[in-house]
Amino acid sequence: MDILNAIVVLLNFVIIPATAYGAQLALGALGVTLIYGILRFSNFAHGDTMAFGTMIVILCTWGLQAAGVTLGPLPTALLALPVGIALTALLLMGTDRAVYRFYRRQKAKPVVYVIASLGVMFIMNGIVRFIIGVDDQRFDDGERFLISVRRFRDLTGLEEGLGIRTSQAITVVVALIAMVALFWFLNRTRTGKSMRAFSDNEDLALLSGINPERVVMITWLIVAALATTAGTLYGLDKAFKPFTYFQLLLPIFAAAIVGGLGNPVGAILGGFLIAFSEVGVTYAFRKVVGYLGPEGWEPAGMMQLLSTDYKFAVSFTILLIVLLFRPTGIMKGKTI
Amino acid sequence: MTDNPYQTDRGNKDVSITNPKGVGTITAVPGTDRPMATDTAFLIGDSMTGGYGNGPDILHDCTIAVNPGEIAVIVGPNGAGKSTAMKAVFGMLSLRQGSVRLDGEDITTLSPQARVAKGMGFVPQTGNIFTSMTVEENLEMGAFIRRDDIRKTMEQVFALFPILRDKRRQAAGELSGGQRQQVAVGRALMTKPKLLMLDEPTAGVSPIVMDELFDRIIEVARTGIPILMVEQNARQALEIADRGYVLVQGRNAHTGTGKELLADPQVRRSFLGG
Repeated sequence: MDILNAIVVLLNFVIIPATAYGAQLALGALGVTLIYGILRFSNFAHGDTMAFGTMIVILCTWGLQAAGVTLGPLPTALLALPVGIALTALLLMGTDRAVYRFYRRQKAKPVVYVIASLGVMFIMNGIVRFIIGVDDQRFDDGERFLISVRRFRDLTGLEEGLGIRTSQAITVVVALIAMVALFWFLNRTRTGKSMRAFSDNEDLALLSGINPERVVMITWLIVAALATTAGTLYGLDKAFKPFTYFQLLLPIFAAAIVGGLGNPVGAILGGFLIAFSEVGVTYAFRKVVGYLGPEGWEPAGMMQLLSTDYKFAVSFTILLIVLLFRPTGIMKGKTI
Repeated sequence: MTDNPYQTDRGNKDVSITNPKGVGTITAVPGTDRPMATDTAFLIGDSMTGGYGNGPDILHDCTIAVNPGEIAVIVGPNGAGKSTAMKAVFGMLSLRQGSVRLDGEDITTLSPQARVAKGMGFVPQTGNIFTSMTVEENLEMGAFIRRDDIRKTMEQVFALFPILRDKRRQAAGELSGGQRQQVAVGRALMTKPKLLMLDEPTAGVSPIVMDELFDRIIEVARTGIPILMVEQNARQALEIADRGYVLVQGRNAHTGTGKELLADPQVRRSFLGG
């Protein structure tokens, strides 16, 4: 029995990576849930919006690196993030002007928007691949580790090491700031409240003098910020590849639906739930069990429920279970 | 109701991709071909003829008017076009004939939102509160177009509906039917409207609550705000009405003060049940 080492292994391979991944999913799901609450459709272009934002951040980071500008121990991408957000906001507002506004004028049913967003998705997908290519891109720089495995071992004298990557720490901190800011905005400011009112009852919002076009614009602005931030953090933590971002759509939607579509708290909960299940189910628990069991009882198998190749099956399964037994999600959804 | 292909409901049932809640239905409606001016009042929907979208006419030459300090009540049998008449006054109907004038100004071509900005307060029959928001936030949203200090108006609303003060941190959707109606009326009062329009304010509340709501409505009218109201409970509504309109099949069937209509044998027989 060696509980301390078991905990360290678990932290190092499951809890810390899943927390970072969960924070990224939560930010993505927040964007999806905002659009669902206010524009009333599921935006299938969200993954590619994230890819577009991240692409801008990467290009900007490369430019800064070439000019010799860095943030020291922090990744330069953080400096490029505002540019990415601004350009993504422009893209989203342009899309709204060119595509969604027409349907709003027609008072189209939400399902029409869903299909339109599918088209937007393919276009964004194409733009991103056209500009930056389909390959993996790395753009992280600065200090790689907050605590490296070796330093942790030297410090504690434990057999197992615990590493915290800078990108993971930054992910959690940035996500936390973004979430607090979003909730403050939605619950305390006049504009934020008007967005909630619009989400709750569009007609009554109109009768109260709330301008729908303004609400929609602000929503796209916030979504651009959330999507770009989520995409950049994911890219820093792992790597940027347009196809991976397209695939991220599934866990993000699973998170938003599991949490309760339209409910921001639900989106965050859902993000972490999906991330922890994905990492937990695909992690080989052999070492942890070995430390917890009596001496010499280390299992021969990997103690892995599912190969990492099947990680998407996890979000799918959770999605199915939730839709079957609690279709409204953990937190009752539908309004923000 | 519509032949717009974007509005067909096909494939729109999956709430995991589409959100049916609170979708907007109000469409701005352009003016009429034939403006009419047969009478004057503070608010008047003059000789209105029209229906929803391109559908058949529901209103036929229908006139509704109200002056300051008055309560005007629209009553009539089911399907008489009571709510439709009110919606026409509020610009939610396409009129083929008639005009709507507020304080002498022709507002026929204005959208419903623009009419709110002009000082018309409207309380719809359903969906008249923000259920997920607190009572206080509901009132705040009511005053969205105002840029000045709204606290005084909120105090006035709380003075009118004391129960709302106690419940102001509670989500409006958790309140009882009567309390919800109070929130709805309070929300409309927050704009400091020149005129209040109520679409069946007592629908679905108990008789005791109904009496109380009528009392409050009279109190609002006493502050000088004219009230135009559609009511299902004809007898009670006519008792407090300065003007009564009995609509039958979208036409003005009887018009007069509430007392006159209550005394009119024809109205009594055909419509109030003896």
